[in-house]
Amino acid sequence: MIHRLWAIALNTFREAARIRVLYGILVLVVGANLLAVVLGEMSINEQSRVARDIGLAGISLFGSLTAIFLGVFLLYGEVQRRTIYTIVTKPIARWEFVAGKYLGMVLILSVLVALFTGAMMALLTWQGVAITGALGKAVFLAWCEVLTVAAIAVFFSAFSSPFLSGIFALALFVIGRVTPDLRNAANDAEATWIRGVARATLEIVPDLHLFAISGRTVEGKAVSVHGDFVSWGYVLSSAGHGLFWILALLTFACVLFQRRDFV
Amino acid sequence: MADDAIIRTTDLVKTYRTPFRRKRVEALKGVSFEVGKGEVFGFLGPNGAGKTTTIRCLMGLCQITGGSATILGQPVPSRAARQRLGFLPEQPYFYDYLTVGELLDLGGRLFGLSHAERTGRADRLIKRVGLDHARGQALKKFSKGMLQRSGLAMALINDPELVVLDEPMSGLDPVGRKEVRDLILELRDAGKSVFFSSHILSDVEQISDRVAIVVGGKIQDVGRPRDLVGHAPLGTEVVLAIPPGDDGGVPAVVADIKARADSVRVAHGELIVGLAAGVDVDDFLAFARGHHGKVVSVTPRHETLEDLFMRRVEAERTRGAQKAAS
Ligand SMILES: Nc1ncnc2c1ncn2[C@@H]1O[C@H](COP(=O)(O)OP(=O)(O)O)[C@@H](O)[C@H]1O
Ligand SMILES: [Mg+2]
Repeated sequence: MIHRLWAIALNTFREAARIRVLYGILVLVVGANLLAVVLGEMSINEQSRVARDIGLAGISLFGSLTAIFLGVFLLYGEVQRRTIYTIVTKPIARWEFVAGKYLGMVLILSVLVALFTGAMMALLTWQGVAITGALGKAVFLAWCEVLTVAAIAVFFSAFSSPFLSGIFALALFVIGRVTPDLRNAANDAEATWIRGVARATLEIVPDLHLFAISGRTVEGKAVSVHGDFVSWGYVLSSAGHGLFWILALLTFACVLFQRRDFV
Repeated sequence: MADDAIIRTTDLVKTYRTPFRRKRVEALKGVSFEVGKGEVFGFLGPNGAGKTTTIRCLMGLCQITGGSATILGQPVPSRAARQRLGFLPEQPYFYDYLTVGELLDLGGRLFGLSHAERTGRADRLIKRVGLDHARGQALKKFSKGMLQRSGLAMALINDPELVVLDEPMSGLDPVGRKEVRDLILELRDAGKSVFFSSHILSDVEQISDRVAIVVGGKIQDVGRPRDLVGHAPLGTEVVLAIPPGDDGGVPAVVADIKARADSVRVAHGELIVGLAAGVDVDDFLAFARGHHGKVVSVTPRHETLEDLFMRRVEAERTRGAQKAAS
């Protein structure tokens, strides 16, 4: 099983590595970091804040958008171009194929996150901004978010077109990011139906806000990569939340994929 | 129950449904046939007959709507069966950034072959299908024929017991077609079973031990080619050379010949006469000789597979037209 998963994953990695758009995104992220340097220079005292914030936002935002892009096209493309015919007629289970594709995406997204992080670190060092443990935790959380978003995209693309999958995945990404507001609505909204909808939404949406908490409040305490940040315990429990969603979404994707006709 | 058939379908039905639209296409309306061990089985039918659909069902690419199918003794879809078979899709398309060697390596990995087996087999197969010169090229630079050859190599990477080929000769030039036919016969000589589809009669007729003719989602005939066609002669074809008439024009006897024959054509100064089945050929030849005709050849005409095939296709077309009218 492992060697089949690995064969699919490596092939997916090769395929993704040939997508030119990814190199464009890399350039964009480096550009954003450079912009952070310029903005940092203008805001005295705030230099390090701006540089870290923009660097981190670049990783999680561009990482997640790339995850949606890859998730939506890589699986669908196999069906569309009929390359899947020669694969699923080999002695491989369909779930192995889906899992292998996802694993390949994990590989390429991890390389991208590493490159984004490398670019950020290089610029921070150049500016003389301290690289702290808090920054490491924040990058790890961003990586978890990117992998969760990839699973969301794969889930949708197991049964719908890239366009629709993209829209759905993007919507889930945005909603997942504003869960604190949803929680407020679930508790305090005037109309009962709003409370009901907010509550229901919270149940079915991965809580991506968990992964981007710098500058927010966690358990009544303000946290920030620039000062007091979350504990490793928090980081691990968030990662666990992400893993739960990844497994759940991939399971659904496999079940849906199992029943599909490839014609 | 032991099932020694390599492929068996029983009343196989497949209906395509387009989601959100109420369109249903009954592609297979109860297809039953059997492929025996070591047989080359030709699946012959015009475009749209349901050949690819049958193969998709057998390969587990789509779910069957009704009936049943087994392959290598296992009900479809079966992973255990897929381990022992090779498949070439219609108009195959592969990862175009790979070379043929990398493609075969991927295939070998999915069969769980060791590194040594993968490289050894890939090397032999690439030579066998004549792609040795193109090893360094990515598949996107390949012509249609080269892709077809790559697909054949990919179908054989696991040294399968059964090979299923969907239109293996399509898009190939006459030399390529001959090579594919030779490859199929070679596989049979090696004890393998081959199931292949084609809409080209001569390809099927030349190499199949048995054929099934499928038209309109139904099997019309199954059997050995020579058992399928009728053996009663359909008539006789006589070619005559007749000296020109006195005035250099058409000799008067031609009118008499026309009266006795089913059809008469003139080609290269010779008369090609079609005689119906019941006509006394000796009597006709004596008559022709009596009018200074020289007999060039006499050929009894039997039904060919082509006649049968065309009859089935015609019948289906008429049925379709009647249905549309009512
Ligand atoms: N994906 C599909 N959706 C709807 N109808 C289809 C689909 N694929 C094939 N068909 C229809 O099913 C019939 C059989 O097609 P096919 O099996 O491809 O024939 P063949 O391979 O013999 O040319 C045709 O009428 C075709 O239009
Ligand atoms: Mg076809």
